[in-house]
Amino acid sequence: MSQPILELKGVHTSYGVIEVLKGISIKVEPKQIVTVIGANGAGKTTTLMTISGCVPIQKGEILFNGQPIHRTPAHQILKMGLAQSPEGRKIFPRLTVKENLEMGAFTRNDKAGIQQDIEKAYHLFPILKDRQKQLGGTLSGGEQQMLAIARALMSRPKMLLLDEPSLGLAPMIILKIFDAIQELNREGMSVLLVEQNARLALKIAHWGYVLETGTVTMSAAAQELLHDPRVQAAYLGE
Amino acid sequence: MDLCLFAEFSFQSLSQYVLNGLLMGALFALIALGYTLVYGIIELVNFAHGDVFMLGCVLTYFLCMFAPEYPTSLIFIPLLLLIVPICCSLLNITINYLVYRPLRKAPRLVPLVSALGVSFVLINVGQMAIGTSPKSIQAQLLPSETNQSSANRETENATRSNEASEELTRPRRSWLTWADILLIGTVIPAMTGLALLVKFTKIGKAMRATAQNPIAARLMGINVEFVIALTFALGGIFAGLAAVVFTLKITTIDYLMGYKNGLYAFTAAVVGGVGSIPGAVLGGILIGLIYSLGAVYIGGAWVDACIFGTLIILLVFRPSGILGTRVREKV
Repeated sequence: MSQPILELKGVHTSYGVIEVLKGISIKVEPKQIVTVIGANGAGKTTTLMTISGCVPIQKGEILFNGQPIHRTPAHQILKMGLAQSPEGRKIFPRLTVKENLEMGAFTRNDKAGIQQDIEKAYHLFPILKDRQKQLGGTLSGGEQQMLAIARALMSRPKMLLLDEPSLGLAPMIILKIFDAIQELNREGMSVLLVEQNARLALKIAHWGYVLETGTVTMSAAAQELLHDPRVQAAYLGE
Repeated sequence: MDLCLFAEFSFQSLSQYVLNGLLMGALFALIALGYTLVYGIIELVNFAHGDVFMLGCVLTYFLCMFAPEYPTSLIFIPLLLLIVPICCSLLNITINYLVYRPLRKAPRLVPLVSALGVSFVLINVGQMAIGTSPKSIQAQLLPSETNQSSANRETENATRSNEASEELTRPRRSWLTWADILLIGTVIPAMTGLALLVKFTKIGKAMRATAQNPIAARLMGINVEFVIALTFALGGIFAGLAAVVFTLKITTIDYLMGYKNGLYAFTAAVVGGVGSIPGAVLGGILIGLIYSLGAVYIGGAWVDACIFGTLIILLVFRPSGILGTRVREKV
């Protein structure tokens, strides 16, 4: 097997005295979609925030392309090619759609390339083109999610971290967004997808992890998890 | 200053007071920008800001001791407008680095109380520098106003017999002083520059993005600590510009002036909508007008009551200020 693009080794993270991640290990192979499923409060968002360098790590190691990044500040992690579309979208409400996209390209200086990538984003999500002069805060939830993903792509990342892209959206919109994720993956993007909607996530993922109160309890090929009776009972409602 | 035209209403004197109010308002607005910029980014009411302004005035006072004679002093003014803002901005960056930055993750009340502490420290520094009694600038940097006013006085004497024309000449005496022109020439480019910076440049957009969502800004690769430092630097520059212009216009300084003018400016920021840049300018002008007109038509002793009364009334009906956006919490 090739070197994993992202590897977490025994990662511990806590908020004050509350330990959220209790030594989790996750591997993402290049050009794969890996999903982390789990209930509310299992530590999924904390996992992504720790990877992105927004939450300090207590113990353990995070390797990106073999390089340790767990002591690297957030803005440098992004520069290395690891972008995140955060939970709850977190778009900039009083910047226009286009300015939001430009912020995604903050670390880049190639104007022509940025313009090209904005066009690419409009191609991926055509509705954003119609909305480009509108303020981010005026978009619907689905449009905001599309903007959040498009914005994350603007740094030309090697890998994308997606936190709950289906949260609070209508089924039609969710399908559109998951189609886009698959399309990105076909073009070679590695994806770490965190989802509460386990069925949907496992359907498009290659590999899956189950996270329960800060510990990885299962790890298997996504198809396998989809048919595992324990997963079905706990997360798929069967 | 000579006899005031207490309650003697005329449109010409009114226009003079309105003008004075606008000028003072522009000064308050410059200081208010420092409050509003910092609040916009880290939601801290930087109580020390007014005292950074005061130390800027103190520095201007000392630098004026080395001022050459008029008219060579005219070259000295741009130098003041360069040195003092740079010093104020370095001071502001240092305060941020030493005091506020280590408290970034602390509950919001902690940096707030620390800001009060910094304010006291700066007041004491000012007191050590110039003592407790007010100080006046001795040097004459700007063209003298006396020629102009003595000329007016002659006209006035000549027309003394004619009551009607005296009414016309009197307010004309000090329509715009040279200090006022300096004020206008400083404030307008400074504010235009800030507006352009925030609206169009990449770093300006990064400032707005950080203010709107600091976590997302970090995920965009924006170095949030750098943006915060830059914000303090900008606030310092505006405090420094205000300090130079204020010192040359009012010519008297004291170590407590930062407290009072800072409070006016902070009120201006809140009235306009704290966190909003146009709001700070609008609020500054409004407070300046109340300051000037209130002193004449209501009475000098009531100025503070008028200003803070306006604040209270406005906050009752529009808690987010005139141009402030109501923050909508969204899950």
